Amino acid sequence: MREINAKLTQEMGDLARDLLASGEVKGVFGWTKGSRWYLTPPVFITKPEEADQLCYDEFAVNNLTGLLLDFRDSQDKIAIFVKGCDSRGIVRLVQDNQLKRENVLVIGVPCPGMGDKGAVTDHRQAQELPLLAKCLECRYPNPVLADRTIGGVTVTTEPSAAPSGATAEAAKGRGVGSKQADRFAQVEAIEKMSPDERSAFWQAQNEKCIRCYACRNICPACNCRECIFDSDKKNWVNKAATPTDNAFFGITRAMHVAGRCVECGECERVCPMDIPIMAMNRKLIGDLNELFGPYDAGVKPEEKPPLGAFKLDDPEEFM
Amino acid sequence: MKRIGVFVCHCGTNIANTVDCAKVAETAKDFPGVVFACDYKYMCAEPGQVMIQEAIREHNLDGYVVAACSPRMHEPTFRKCAERAGMNPYMVEQVNIREQCSWVHADKTKGTDKSIDITRMGVAKVAQNEPLFSTTIPVTKRALVIGAGIAGIQAAIDIADAGYPVTLLDREHSMGGKMAQVDKTFPTLDCSACILTPKMVEAAQHPNIEIVTYAEVQAVDGFVGNFDVTIRKKARYVDVDKCTGCGLCSEKCPKKVASEFEMNLGTRKAIYVPFPQAVPNKPVIDAKNCRFLVEGKCGVCKKVCPTGAVDFEQKDELIVERFGSIVVATGFEQFDISKYEEYGAGRIPDVITGLHLERLMNASGPTMGKIKRPSDGKVPEKIVFIKCVGSRDEAKGRSYCSRACCMYVAKHATLIKEKIPTSKSYIFYMDVRTAGKNYEEFYTRAQNEYDAQYVRGRVSKIFQVGDKLIVRGEDSLLGRPVEIEADLVVLAAGMDPQQDAKDLARTLGISYDQHGWFTEAHPKLRPVETHTAGIFLAGACQGPKDIPDSVAQASAAAVKAAGLLSKKELTAEAQTARCDEAYCSGCGLCVSICPYKAIELKRISERVHGGTRERQVSSVNQGLCQGCGACSVACPSSAMNLKGFSNDQILAEVDALCQR
Repeated sequence: MREINAKLTQEMGDLARDLLASGEVKGVFGWTKGSRWYLTPPVFITKPEEADQLCYDEFAVNNLTGLLLDFRDSQDKIAIFVKGCDSRGIVRLVQDNQLKRENVLVIGVPCPGMGDKGAVTDHRQAQELPLLAKCLECRYPNPVLADRTIGGVTVTTEPSAAPSGATAEAAKGRGVGSKQADRFAQVEAIEKMSPDERSAFWQAQNEKCIRCYACRNICPACNCRECIFDSDKKNWVNKAATPTDNAFFGITRAMHVAGRCVECGECERVCPMDIPIMAMNRKLIGDLNELFGPYDAGVKPEEKPPLGAFKLDDPEEFM
Repeated sequence: MKRIGVFVCHCGTNIANTVDCAKVAETAKDFPGVVFACDYKYMCAEPGQVMIQEAIREHNLDGYVVAACSPRMHEPTFRKCAERAGMNPYMVEQVNIREQCSWVHADKTKGTDKSIDITRMGVAKVAQNEPLFSTTIPVTKRALVIGAGIAGIQAAIDIADAGYPVTLLDREHSMGGKMAQVDKTFPTLDCSACILTPKMVEAAQHPNIEIVTYAEVQAVDGFVGNFDVTIRKKARYVDVDKCTGCGLCSEKCPKKVASEFEMNLGTRKAIYVPFPQAVPNKPVIDAKNCRFLVEGKCGVCKKVCPTGAVDFEQKDELIVERFGSIVVATGFEQFDISKYEEYGAGRIPDVITGLHLERLMNASGPTMGKIKRPSDGKVPEKIVFIKCVGSRDEAKGRSYCSRACCMYVAKHATLIKEKIPTSKSYIFYMDVRTAGKNYEEFYTRAQNEYDAQYVRGRVSKIFQVGDKLIVRGEDSLLGRPVEIEADLVVLAAGMDPQQDAKDLARTLGISYDQHGWFTEAHPKLRPVETHTAGIFLAGACQGPKDIPDSVAQASAAAVKAAGLLSKKELTAEAQTARCDEAYCSGCGLCVSICPYKAIELKRISERVHGGTRERQVSSVNQGLCQGCGACSVACPSSAMNLKGFSNDQILAEVDALCQR
């Protein structure tokens, strides 16, 4: 595995260096090795000599696509490395007119499935880590769109396609996508609760929330120019992190990304308070599928999200 | 703080019976911003309106709430009332304490409490209201009439007489519609052709009317005053400008097929005019049956045509034209009797429909007006009529009465007796409905002078024995079964909406009921208008109608259409969507969700950190926007807001309700 990662890191660096040196792109979003063995945070490089900083391993879990919003009105062309889940974020942003497709150079990378750093027992000693739950549930391990690829990964919009490219064997071995069928298990469990239990469950979650907005900041569907939670129009919601306002925040956030959530699971991963945010998103995904037919957000750029299109056979009769 | 007035209406006893109006007014005095509140028996009446106007002046009101009936009923009344007192009409809110309170609550306390609550919400909303101003849009002074039956023709002539150009469109080759197939008309028994064809000629020769036949409406864009209509002119394969209508082509055409106009009782050629009095009297080639177009052989018509008008190369043509208003007069279809298996319809040749009989009786019909049985050409002696076939029958999905059948059956019985004096008609009926001028007299005459025997009851079965038809039914007045040996059975088939009526409704953006009849804006007060401004209804497309009713409604629709065209400019909806560009991220969700195509993305440039940057934002066409609010719901960042129903206004209402 280490060898494959080293090779991919090498390939990544070479490609980034070429792109920057030739001036084809103004900058490259990728990952770099962090301060600890289980950290591979995002990096943005603009010079060919910075290409050595790039790194790819099983901790490059960050979905970088939201960072492209810094360039939403810019004419500069930017390159970005994407895994399967991340690539749907690009489609999402293009569908939302936040990015001009021609201004982004999408580079697909093969994904071995990402390690769960929550299982780290020794901060100094590297060890074999289990996969993140979201990788076990992954249905799109390969990029759904890419201009270039590295590591021999194939681009496909087929859901549940097998992982491809250099890390395919490893991904299969570690069980990427093996729990796809359980995607809605948590939603079903919550739905089985009595209204009182359910209320208590979410109340407990809302009491935990510290309103750090990490979930919002990493989300490629959260791309409003000005978020109502930053607005000084106080009449909607209080800025203080009280359970009521937190509940309002949580529900509003989920409703805002309804029909647009690409299931990258980043919101839940970055939550410092371990709130099951994806349960909320999945509930809406399930409901939308039931109401409007099967739809995976951020897969086909030409397809309009179900809540953003006007159809004559809309289940709402008055339309 | 705005100075707000509250006016509580009793609506006679409609509201006052279950709502303590005085208490509502008294309580409202304490709501934030309220400086005056009162109640009165009829707020919409003149004294009520005067009371409001005096209060506006006396208390220097900035806005007011009327707690009364539905805004659908009287919002315009109270807006105009404000305007006359010099107040912006959009500073008025009407809350519905009639339908939402008094009519749904038996308990006076509950009704009163709810009235107070929704009045409180109304006050909170008015406090957030801003004056709105309408824009004006120009009017294209032309009308389109879809369907050239009697209703369409009448509407077109009336609009044209008012001085406006009209395009009269029909998807058939000729004008005339269903009335052209009818022999005589009740209750006067004048021949249908004698009253219809002169109208057709009048329309065709009217300087203000352009006839477009064999054409369909494909798409409608735009809005009241400016509809851009895409019309598909189907290929006739005959150049109408060159054709003189000499008829040589039809004469020589070797292909004979059943004629739709003659209800398949006669034949026509593959190049044909549907009936001798057709307007325009120019033939059309039926591409499905033309030997040249199907097999590439023949082409006789082209060879014999003295003016070279036959053109096999012709293609469908799309034209886009702009109209100020549209009158829909697409009529009806006769109910498909094959749904009545027990009547042998479609299987037994001598079980026919009313329209078949019309053709058999018509002097220019397939039998030259001689009534003959379709099976063997014998003259029938005993004729059985069955009414309500495809009407008033829940089991067949037709709960409605088709209105014209009672009368046309009486007419048939009368005419048959005149043509075959030895004949006898039996008429099975459920009820006899003759609500029209001179209708009852006509029906009585059919019974008394023409020996039509009415049998109250349903027929259960019809079957063939030899060359007779056995009709088995029940006489529910005598309470016993009856069996009649008939020569001919005529089913009084009811009216169905055109099969594709729903498609047209969607194209036009008008509504239809569960059967497919187009829905009027208000059954009593706006019977010829649709909910889409500028689109009017005439004739049977709105529901079953006979000729007098269709003509009357057509003239009504024409007045509405001409009235609209007579305006210099139209006032556009003031409660439209507005985009706050600062919040708009240009995602375009509103563009795709807008049913009126009123939103576009535009580029704006703004200064950022000393430089200029371009970005996309939504832009609302105020003329097209109908204020439906779909965009403001779809907008993820609340950049899109509906004027008059902004997020802040609705939130103020919710707040007011929560803080009571």
